[in-house]
Order: sequence, then C-alpha cells, then structure tokens
Amino acid sequence: MTRLEKVFNQKETKNKVLVTYTVAGDPNLGSSKKILNDLIASGADILEIGVPFSDPMSEGPVIQKAHERALKKNIQFKDILNLCKQIRIENKNVPIVLMGYMNSFLALKNKLAKELNQAGVDGVIVVDLPYDESKSFFNNLKKENIDLIRLISPTTDSKRLKRMLASSSGYLYYVSLKGITGAELKNFNEVKNKVKKIKSLTNLPVVVGFGIKDAPTAKKMASFSDGIVVGTKIIDFIEKKSTPKISNFTKSLKKAIN
Amino acid sequence: MKYKNLNNYAFPDKEGRFGEFGGKYVSETLITALEELEKVYAKVKKDKSFQEEVIKDLNDFVGRPSPLYFAERWTKKLGGAKIYLKREDLNHTGAHKINNTVGQVLLAKKMGKKRVIAETGAGQHGVATATVAARHGLECIIFMGEEDIERQALNVYRMKLLGAEVCSVDSGTKTLKDAMNEAMRDWVTNVEDTHYIIGSVAGPHPYPEIVRDFNSIVGKELKIQSKKEFGKYPDIIVACVGGGSNAMGIFHPFIKETKTKLVGVEAGGSGVKSGKHAAPLSDGKVGVLHGMKTYLMQDKNGQILSTHSVSAGLDYPGVGPEHAYLRDIGRVEYQSATDQQALKSFHDLTKTEGIMPALETSHALAYVNKIAPKLSKSKIIVINLSGRGDKDMFTVAKEDGMTL
Repeated sequence: MTRLEKVFNQKETKNKVLVTYTVAGDPNLGSSKKILNDLIASGADILEIGVPFSDPMSEGPVIQKAHERALKKNIQFKDILNLCKQIRIENKNVPIVLMGYMNSFLALKNKLAKELNQAGVDGVIVVDLPYDESKSFFNNLKKENIDLIRLISPTTDSKRLKRMLASSSGYLYYVSLKGITGAELKNFNEVKNKVKKIKSLTNLPVVVGFGIKDAPTAKKMASFSDGIVVGTKIIDFIEKKSTPKISNFTKSLKKAIN
Repeated sequence: MKYKNLNNYAFPDKEGRFGEFGGKYVSETLITALEELEKVYAKVKKDKSFQEEVIKDLNDFVGRPSPLYFAERWTKKLGGAKIYLKREDLNHTGAHKINNTVGQVLLAKKMGKKRVIAETGAGQHGVATATVAARHGLECIIFMGEEDIERQALNVYRMKLLGAEVCSVDSGTKTLKDAMNEAMRDWVTNVEDTHYIIGSVAGPHPYPEIVRDFNSIVGKELKIQSKKEFGKYPDIIVACVGGGSNAMGIFHPFIKETKTKLVGVEAGGSGVKSGKHAAPLSDGKVGVLHGMKTYLMQDKNGQILSTHSVSAGLDYPGVGPEHAYLRDIGRVEYQSATDQQALKSFHDLTKTEGIMPALETSHALAYVNKIAPKLSKSKIIVINLSGRGDKDMFTVAKEDGMTL
C-alpha cells in the first residue's frame, strides 16, 4: 500500500484528510522546512509542496508572490528534492506531493521519476498538463510508483471525466471554482453536486481545493468529500511574517473537518 | 533534420501539434473553452458566409489589400537585390495585428461571448483588439506590462479612447509574457462569457492555427501581387519574429513554394552572445509556456528568463510552435538583428523612403540591409513591413538622447 493509500484508508474511521500547500523555499529553505514540520505536527495529512516557477499562471496574487520570494532565494529543483528528503528522514508516513508547472518538471528530463522516488515524493500535480497531454508523463511516473494527481474542474464534463478516471491514481483534486488560487468560493451546492458525481464514478478519494480559507468553509467542503486543500491562507501568514499563527490555524481546520 | 517534401504540409495535426511542438498545455478549466473554440473554428473555416464577412471587414474596415511597394531609393543605396515592401503599416490602426482581431472578434460573436480580453506588448495588438471591440460593441480588457505601459504611452491612450480598460501588470518582468499570464488568469475566471483574443501565433491549440490563418491574407495577396508585378514569386521573403504572427502570415502561403527562401529575424537585443536578447530560436531550449511546447529562453531549472529588446513587441521569451517546427525542418532560416542595427535601419528607411517603420519591423530591415548588397540585381526581396513607427517616437528619441 502506498503512503497516499494509507492516509485515505483512514476513511474507515471517517477521518477527513487535510492537505496543505506551501511553496518550497518561501520565505527561505530553512523556514520552509520548519513550516512543513509544524504543519505535520498540527494535523496536516498530506503535504503539497509548490515548485516555484517564474510564470505561475494559475495562481492568485498571494501565491504568485510566494513563488517570487522563493525564486529570489534562487531555489533550485535539487534544493526542493533535498527538502523532501529531509522531511522524509524525520517522517516516514506523511505523503509528499509536488505541485508545479510543466516546464519545471521537463527540465529534469528522463531523470525526473527516479529523482522524485529517491527523494521520497509520492505524487505530482502539474497545473498546466491536462489529461490530453499527459500520457507519456503519466507512464514515466508510474514506473517509479509516483502518482500523477489529476485536477478536475467545474468545466470538466462527464465524458471527459470518465476518460480521465481510467488513468488516475492517488487521489483526485477537485478545483472548486473557475478561477485562480485564493479566489472567492461562492457556490457550495455546485461543488457538492460535482463531487458527488465524481464519487459515483470512481473509488479514488476526492479532495476539494481553491478558495477554502477558514474552518467553517473547510467543514462544509469536507462534509461531502474526502478532504480539503488549503494554501493561500497559510501563505498569507508567511507573507505577513506571522508564521507562528500557522499551527493554530491548521489545528482549527483539522478540528473543523472531523 | 531537413525537410524532403512539403507537398503534404498540413499542420497542426489532430492533436494540435506541429511535429513535437504546440499542443494544449493549459489548466483543466480551460480545456472546454479551447475545445469549443476548435469546434466553432473548424465550422467557420468552411462557412462561406463567415469568410465573406471577414473579407468584407478586411476590405472596407482595414483597407486591404495592402500595396506591394518598390523601395527604389533604398534598393539603389544598397546596390544589390530589388527590395519590395508589403505595406501592412498602411492598415487601419497601423499594423498587421488587425487582420487577426477582425477575424477573432467575429468568432467571439459566433460563440456568443460578450467580453473580449487580450495581452499586448507594444500595444498594437491591444489597439487592434480595442478597435474591433468598439466596432462590435463588446466589453474589452487589455492586459499590459507596467514597463510596456511606460514605453508605449501613446497606444495606451488610444486603447482608452476606444473604450477599453487597460490593466497594468506588475508581476514578474512586467512585460508581454506577464501580461499573457494575467490574461490567462482572467480567462480562467471568466471563461463562460469571455473570448481571449491571443495576438500571436502562440498559446495553446487552436490559437497558433487561427492567428496564422487570419494573418495569411498577407501572403495570399503577395502571391497575386508578385506574379503580376514581376511574373514570379519573390526569391526571398523576410519578416521579424517575436511570437511570430506577421512572419507566419506572410510565410504560410509560401511554405510549399520552396524556390522562395523564407527568413525570420528575431530580436538580438545587445547581441545573442550577450544573453540580453529575445531570440529563443537562435539561443533557446525546448520547453512549455503559455499552453504550448516550443523554443523558450530559460535556465537549467526551466525558469523563464527575462528578455531584452528595444522593441516591446518582440520582447517575448517564446515563439509560436509552427516557427519552432519550420526551424527544425530547415524550411525557414532564422536570424537575429541587434537593437542598434534595428535603430539604424529605422532611420535609413525613414530618410530614404519616407516610410517610418515600427521598431519590430526594423529588425527585418536590418537583416536585408546586410544581405541585399551581396545579391545580384535580378533577385527580389520582399519584406513584410508589419507596422508603422509612430508608436515608437519616445523610444527612438530616448535612444537618440532627445526628450520630447
């Protein structure tokens, strides 16, 4: 059983999964590591670690600035892999998922899957790699047992969804809104219906992300999904130099969803 | 790789690729919109009444066909090949960009979209989009890098006069690529009522095909004009390449006419060896940006590098995927010209022919300035004079040490 499967297997105990997103190297590598460890200690079940990119097209202003801060520290891909290794040494179980843009992953060419595996990475989310373009990338990752986590959006129709599900693993990430990260989430019912629809077609766990910034929203979203993703709000604390507040916030989310 | 037979050249393929280049590298949310665009475009491509509507606007609104002009004094001065200019600068709004927006706005209306958005570098595409939006009564938002807003103040004001909202983009390098990021962010948020009018043969499929097709009126006219004027096709066609829409427009109808040499000229900035340039086909690596696989200026970690060019319209780290393919198969030769060479040609053409070219176009002129004297007088070169230079007054004055 993979680390991701283990986390979602807690479903029997009905525990919902808390996924956090931070950007590697924001505000610097040392703090990044400390923040990730704090997140684990305060209840994060899966770490999504952002790979900073010069052109983060799907991000809202808060996460864009996080990418810029990390790039100013000249974070390289090998630094991110090292960061993952260090987390893995201290924690054997927490799944690590790298989230980024295609050009960053392409830069590692055919060494990518092996390097990810050696660093203890469990999955990859590539924002600008839709299902249609992902066949060889998916197969390469599979060879090293790395899951390619699919993003599903409000505009994904059933026909397309079924095709995607045929080559999905790990979990599914439902993007709750049409827009960028950190935008305002308005239509709960639409999200609920779509998640139910997805769950009727697959046994894979479905987590909901984009626009979840507080415990009440997290609770609502978790009530019909397997878990939630929170990113912008955590990074907001980093931007405002109030990282000590991250632990309590994370605890409040964890409590709210379970 | 060298091409063998181009008789069956028919790209993009079903996957939206030109060889390995192109594709649809966008977030999941945009896939439906791209598929709709693909479907609608495939339909109107064969729809006679739609095509007639486009042609009518190109004739009556844009002022086509654009003349093929013999640059007699400049030819004499250089003392070699005969030089002709395809006068896209005479189009309404002053550049080739309007050929594409006239078509895309009709597509937007066909899809029932009420709002159009666009990115712009030099401001020419922004003006061309704002113009057709005004003509059809659509809401229009233009994204433009903060740095470009400063160096293209005249075009910013033109867009505002036309009723468009100009959004200043202050992320990243504050130029064209960042404006495109921001336009993508807007599109993903408003995808249901908004059409994104991409201004170059770049971006995800089907944009490189759509923008090429609407611009290829330039090459089609040139075929007729050159047969009439000198009884054959040109020996060489030269065009500047940023994203590559004016070049693709004049090249595409000639791809199978292999006796005609095609040359694209990139922005060499301070020189390709200096690293300060915008010439991904001369000095870039294959990667993925803005929805397409193509040559990009990037570092070993895949971070996109900031570019440099005196012309805002060429200041882009990528290039249309069809250019990447035509480079690899050797059908088009890609060269570069530096800022200084382009500025010199700007002045030369202005003084010799009484035609003030855009700084983008001046890069193509700079290349011809170099090769024409070495060619025999029987050879014919056609340059796509893609735009006029009025918008560049402030930049040129600054380079010459003047204040206006």
